[in-house]
Amino acid sequence: MAEIILQSVSKHFGEVKAVDNFVATVGDGEFVSILGPSGCGKTTMLRMVAGFEKPTAGEIYIGDRLVSSPAKGIFVPPEKRSIGMVFQSYAVWPHMSVFDNVGYPLKIKGLPKTEIADRTNTALDLVHLNGLAQRLPSQLSGGQQQRVALARALVAEPDLLLLDEPLSNLDAKLRESMRFEIKELQKKLGVTVIYVTHDQAEAMAMSDRIVVMNAGVIQQIGNPVDVYETPANKTIADFIGLVNFLTAEAGEGGVAVPALGRTVPAPSGLTGKAVAAVRPEQIALAAPGTGIAGTVIHKSYLGDAVDWRIEVGGETVRVIAPAAAFREIGAGQNIGLVVDKIMIFPA
Amino acid sequence: MINRLRQKFDAKWMAIAAAVGILVLFVVLPMLYLIWRSVFIDGAFNFATYKQVYAQSANWKAFANTFYISLVVTFVSIAISFPLAWLVGRTDLPGKGFFRTTFIASYMIPPYVGAIAWTQLLNPSVGYLNEWLVSVFKLSKAPFDIYGMGGLIWCLTLFYSPFAFITISRALEKMDPSLEEASRVAGASPLVTLWRVTLPLMFPSIIAGGVLVFIGVGSAFGIPAIIGMPAQIEVLTTRIVTYVYLGTGKGIRDATALAVSLMIAANFVLYASTWLLTRKDYVTISGKSTRPNLVELRGWKWPLTFLVSLYGFVAIFLPLASIAVTSLIKSLSRPISLDNLTIDAWLAALKNDQYMTPLWTSFVTGAAAATVATAIAVFIAYLLVKTRMRGRTIPDGLATLGGATPSIVIALALIITFSGEFGLNLYNTFGILIVAYMVKYLTMAVRTIAASLSQVHSSLEEAALNSGATWLQSLRDIMLPLIGPSIVAGWFLVFMPSFYELTMSIILYGSQTKTIGVLLYELQTYADPQDASVLAVIILIIILVGNIILRKVSKGAIGI
Ligand SMILES: Nc1ncnc2c1ncn2[C@@H]1O[C@H](COP(=O)(O)OP(=O)(O)OP(=O)(O)O)[C@@H](O)[C@H]1O
Ligand SMILES: [Mg+2]
Repeated sequence: MAEIILQSVSKHFGEVKAVDNFVATVGDGEFVSILGPSGCGKTTMLRMVAGFEKPTAGEIYIGDRLVSSPAKGIFVPPEKRSIGMVFQSYAVWPHMSVFDNVGYPLKIKGLPKTEIADRTNTALDLVHLNGLAQRLPSQLSGGQQQRVALARALVAEPDLLLLDEPLSNLDAKLRESMRFEIKELQKKLGVTVIYVTHDQAEAMAMSDRIVVMNAGVIQQIGNPVDVYETPANKTIADFIGLVNFLTAEAGEGGVAVPALGRTVPAPSGLTGKAVAAVRPEQIALAAPGTGIAGTVIHKSYLGDAVDWRIEVGGETVRVIAPAAAFREIGAGQNIGLVVDKIMIFPA
Repeated sequence: MINRLRQKFDAKWMAIAAAVGILVLFVVLPMLYLIWRSVFIDGAFNFATYKQVYAQSANWKAFANTFYISLVVTFVSIAISFPLAWLVGRTDLPGKGFFRTTFIASYMIPPYVGAIAWTQLLNPSVGYLNEWLVSVFKLSKAPFDIYGMGGLIWCLTLFYSPFAFITISRALEKMDPSLEEASRVAGASPLVTLWRVTLPLMFPSIIAGGVLVFIGVGSAFGIPAIIGMPAQIEVLTTRIVTYVYLGTGKGIRDATALAVSLMIAANFVLYASTWLLTRKDYVTISGKSTRPNLVELRGWKWPLTFLVSLYGFVAIFLPLASIAVTSLIKSLSRPISLDNLTIDAWLAALKNDQYMTPLWTSFVTGAAAATVATAIAVFIAYLLVKTRMRGRTIPDGLATLGGATPSIVIALALIITFSGEFGLNLYNTFGILIVAYMVKYLTMAVRTIAASLSQVHSSLEEAALNSGATWLQSLRDIMLPLIGPSIVAGWFLVFMPSFYELTMSIILYGSQTKTIGVLLYELQTYADPQDASVLAVIILIIILVGNIILRKVSKGAIGI
């Protein structure tokens, strides 16, 4: 297993800074996600770790081995990095059976046939594909092909497993169950994982830590709770989860949020215009006349919950509340709000 | 409402029925009649013609030669094309975009022009290349003689291998590069990946490209006639033309038996390969594919660039340069230099009616064939892509059949069918040339138009019908404008090969309908290399202009 050190890694395609000054360390056996909107440089970063792209600056260590360093003229090709990788398109070879696909990395190493068979079967067991070894990929479902790709990436017991949006081609149900399977496997094998996704729920559910990227630059590194509850800036708060933004003003005694009629302690050094951010689930509904007075604009019934739009002090907030709460109150009527946690960012 | 519906269907069915009728008349009938004529003598079933034909060792020899030459050229073409396609598509070879365009574009050079060029370069007495080699290496005699089996295979390989190159490199471009990357992370070097993953995945397209080369070479007439015949190497096509030129009833019958043999052999190869390929399941699931990771050639970079450049130089530049120089040279016996160049031959040729009339004939018949073929192709493609009718693939199948049948077979079938036999006498007319070109190249237009039609969602047409348009109106107002570029592209894809066609024209032309291909062939055989070169350059220029228009219209997606 291995610790991964990414030291000021940059990749510029001419003018485009696909990845800029990426600094991070992935601990041995850690599961780290790279999360960010489309085009922010996640795949480029992952491909640099895999050895498919050469960084334009910086250094990459896998374990204690320096694998990429343009300054020192070092570049280890992908086949010498001993990593496993799962591609978004699965990249399962259509001309080989499931068994041959999974056993390929061992065959390339030149291991004896019996050992290849043993380890391939173990890997197939691991992903619950034991019965399908002789099938061709065209006879498999998308989810099964995904498992073949996973088994192939793990069979040679790599130090590091890289996954680039491995679940994005699967349907919603399968996606959720695969999340847990991948996580379980990783725990069982203790392999270091770098996982690229633009799906924040996926990143939250699986990762020990999340690296949030935007436009090639790291915005924040932290565990899922940190990233969700104390996002480093407005952009992250907006990208991860739902959020209400309200105007605020930093002054002597703290930050005033007029719409909510509250003043909260100011983060150090903040003055002037600011933004208050409140997650919809941090707002509870209360009987009219209690809490902060609001007027219902619109209600959407979602089955398990109700999505409310409520006007408070001239601004609109979104509240997601249990379906059973305040069924009798409709559009145009008054309601009360109790706000729990307020985050403050510079405007 | 019922009436409107009926009206709409009537127009549609009539148009489609007309297209099918034309195909039956000009594709199915002649082919069946050709086969019938070869096995029925005086109304009785009889294999005597075949017995007679194959009793002659010359015919056996021609059959064996055809098979042998096609096979060798196919293997050499694959051996050249796969590495070339890989170097150009998957490595950091410098100038690969240029090489790719060049190799694909060499497909535009009519093979007989290539043959003429190589006789100029490598004939044993005054070949430019031979003379150069003699003077550089101080040889006592010319090192090469184009007139022989080696020269024939060499020339066929240069001008038919682009079929393999185009097929293989297109497939390589469509392949999901992560299939190769997965092999790299699994520990395989670029070469092992090439061998274990890329090559097996490309197997179907290698076979497909190989079959194109095999059938193309087996049906080729120009190169074997210009290079093989002087060396007494006969193939089926040259035998057939010789028999037809005898002009006797027996000659035609013998030609018929050979043509049917050729047709059966070609179809056998085609179906065997299709069968082989459909047995293997090679669907690649393609996700959001990345740009292919380019293999670094490192130390091999410059040696390989040199090799590829040398191949491009020899395969394409040398023959073109040879033709151009020959068209301008004053005296063939003196060395190439500025004061030995003149445009006199050009001026004379441009004023010579005997040259300009065939040029014009080819232009007109090519344009007519292209226009008719495109019009029919629209209906066939519509039927194929936009309807769910039973049998909708039949007209497309007939068009494909025409395209896959060796040209010489089509020509012979047309000549025996439409010399008055069925109340239609097209013998020695422009009409028979136009029909022949249409039958052979219709499939090009159908493919192009069908591809573009399948991009147009049916709801666009349904919206027009809903707004009260008849089917013909919706075709005119909605469909045609949307697929317009592909129609123009289809037109050029029929026009260009028709324009320089030789194999069918050489059998079908009459004294008033000589085409440019035939003229060029005559000039070459009557040993007037200079005028032949002038006309060859004119053909190349016209093809080049056509191709530029084609690329403009299709925004680079289609080129010959
Ligand atoms: N070979 C290249 N040449 C030029 N620009 C590139 C190249 N590869 C990537 N880029 C650019 O770098 C940026 C980052 O691309 P990347 O593929 O890493 O994004 P991503 O975060 O993986 O996005 P997605 O979620 O859509 O997969 C994009 O703006 C992309 O256009
Ligand atoms: Mg990506």
